[in-house]
Amino acid sequence: MSDDMPMLDCRSAMQQLWDYVDGELTAERMQAVERHLDACANCHPHAEFAERFLAALHQTREDRSCPQDVRAKVMASLRDAGMKVT
Amino acid sequence: MNDSVPPADARDVEFARDALPYMDDVYRFAYSLTRNAADADDLVQETYLRAFRSWHTFQPGSDARRWLFTICRNAFLRSREKLRHEVDVEDSDMETLAAVMNQGEMRKDGSDQLLSRVDLAPALTKALDELAEPFRSTVILVDVEDQSYDAASEVLGVPVGTVRSRLFRGRRQLQEKLRAYARDAGFASAGNPAQEPNDV
Repeated sequence: MSDDMPMLDCRSAMQQLWDYVDGELTAERMQAVERHLDACANCHPHAEFAERFLAALHQTREDRSCPQDVRAKVMASLRDAGMKVT
Repeated sequence: MNDSVPPADARDVEFARDALPYMDDVYRFAYSLTRNAADADDLVQETYLRAFRSWHTFQPGSDARRWLFTICRNAFLRSREKLRHEVDVEDSDMETLAAVMNQGEMRKDGSDQLLSRVDLAPALTKALDELAEPFRSTVILVDVEDQSYDAASEVLGVPVGTVRSRLFRGRRQLQEKLRAYARDAGFASAGNPAQEPNDV
């Protein structure tokens, strides 16, 4: 993006915030939102919060895994279905 | 004889190598769909059985986890036909703004401090379990299992716009639940003035 391009306004930046933190915008839009966030003291904390929120959400992975008895049942049913490698 | 079909043992080895490592991920997704351990157990078994029997249709080098999620979701839908009829709110831009406003309120009343606590995961897991469908499975796929919007769209069989809408709405609901949790835990003050839209 060119430095000559007008800065996104706060509303546009916030409308694209989730897409931005998810990395789902085009490279140009990612840059435009990033540029706004770097310069805007009002919006920057929103992005920081969103990133911390998503990081915490991702951490819940460690809170739930497939129980061993279920794993054993899956392997048993796969063997019954003809799977030879376990 | 078709030379491209590997012998049974080779298929078994490939399946064990490429599909079995994702059992935790499939379990989490299955649990997000069924919301109870017994049904999740059955769904994981059903998913892996179907996957094993259909392994010849899996394209080597493609995303096995996404493929398993799709099988899991289809198996679940076949058992719960009624869940096919879901109503979505498509205005994801409004959902984004609403979530941002909610974040502003969390920062104002101090409930955002929760995010730096190490023991937040159990509260978030509980909040995720309480989240209604179809928001729960979408949040699990994108935010917990790292699937892109496109991948989640493929797994859930809905347009990308619907994924975004469900995702943003689900995140907002989670933030609201966290905010209530923060108040109960004494992290946040009650009765703070609501943030004006222009504050965004």
